[in-house]
Amino acid sequence: MSEKITLNQKIAKLDNEVEWFYSDDFKLEDAAKKYQEAVALAKDIEKDLKELKNEIEVLSEDFSK
Amino acid sequence: MNDSFTPTEFISVVNQTLEYAYSSALVIGEVASFKVNQGKWVFFDLKDEESSISCFMPLWDLRIPLEDGMKVMVRGLPKITKWGKFSFTVSAVKPVGEGSLKKAYEMLKKKLTQEGLFDPAKKRPIPDDLMRLGVISSTGAAGYADFIKIINARWGGMKVQVAHTQVQGLDAPDQIIKALQYFNERGEVQMIAILRGGGSADDLSCFNDEALVRAIAASKIPVITGIGHEVDESLSDLAADVRASTPSNAAEMLTRDRAEVREKIRRSINRVSQMTLQEIERARDNNRSRINETMRKSLEQIGLARQQNSSQLKRIISLIRVKYLDPMIEANREKIRRCLEKIKVEFERVESDISQKMKTLEVLNPEKVLSQGYAILAGKISPGNIVKITTFKQEIEAEIKKIQERNRDE
Repeated sequence: MSEKITLNQKIAKLDNEVEWFYSDDFKLEDAAKKYQEAVALAKDIEKDLKELKNEIEVLSEDFSK
Repeated sequence: MNDSFTPTEFISVVNQTLEYAYSSALVIGEVASFKVNQGKWVFFDLKDEESSISCFMPLWDLRIPLEDGMKVMVRGLPKITKWGKFSFTVSAVKPVGEGSLKKAYEMLKKKLTQEGLFDPAKKRPIPDDLMRLGVISSTGAAGYADFIKIINARWGGMKVQVAHTQVQGLDAPDQIIKALQYFNERGEVQMIAILRGGGSADDLSCFNDEALVRAIAASKIPVITGIGHEVDESLSDLAADVRASTPSNAAEMLTRDRAEVREKIRRSINRVSQMTLQEIERARDNNRSRINETMRKSLEQIGLARQQNSSQLKRIISLIRVKYLDPMIEANREKIRRCLEKIKVEFERVESDISQKMKTLEVLNPEKVLSQGYAILAGKISPGNIVKITTFKQEIEAEIKKIQERNRDE
């Protein structure tokens, strides 16, 4: 069962993927694949950014008592 | 007279009447004769220019520091004691007026600072991945509306639970404390935001309530405050893990701006794309250089090999000459000499023969004969004919006059 990751986790993942390009691990032969992965994740994040809404719940508890 | 009372009955009736009429009376006055008895009971007088009321309260209900001269508002119940004296049992006190507010604030701040409640080392940051937020505020307040509007504009995907409480007045601290306890007991949220928009110093004074400040400092869940305006700093702000200057500022601190995130992501992807292209270009240049270098080295090696081969060739030729040719020449030297001798003799013979023939030819040369005084006559020898006479120096045309036989016996 795949765990659903949050928007912030996706952004953190993208940051890591982008960081790879600036790290010592960078290999030109892997760059195309990594780039495609990063672009796909970026698109997913953009979609979330556009669609996600906050869920606001006003509690029914009476705190005056 | 049926309407008469015993003193006890009368005091009881009066107290019931007072409680009915003034169950929660608010009185503002100046504190005088403040004292704490047995570490449990607080006594002071509340007075103005003309009158004075004796006040009593349990120490645990006193939530601000008090001293003589402070102007305060008290809430309490008037009653007559069994000795027939008027008393006012206080349930809440708050300072009133700029001077008293400031005094109470400074005194409590000093006390709580000494206790370490505001220690910066105890502050916890806003969680990185904030998904569940508890909000304590008045849902009718403008500050709350601003907060909700901003978080919805900036970010999405958060679950926000809102505890509606009063955010000003004597009851506000207790309600906020209960809401804090509610969130802490359930542990469902990652951060609690206490929000209240701008107001007067008196409006905001509830956030200097000692019990509330302690509850904020003791919260297991990190607390952010967004209270009042930028210039306002309550003791709740000092006790909180994070202080935002206003509810709007709290919303900005708690959420990322989706437009900024989108822009950042696009920039990152562009940078990565450009960087990869540069790397490809660099790799291509490197390969080109490597090929050029390889070619240059190869050419050098070829040149070197050629030189080496040339030297080797010379050495081989020299070796062949020394090893094979010279001995062969030496071995056949006599034969060669004889052969050369024969060639020479033959050559001299041929040369002599040619020389002899050349001499003969020289003698027979007509020019040689002409040079000795002879002449050549050409044409038909017949009287009257014209003939051509060639001497060494002249050519002469002559007519034949007479022909006679030559006497060769003389």
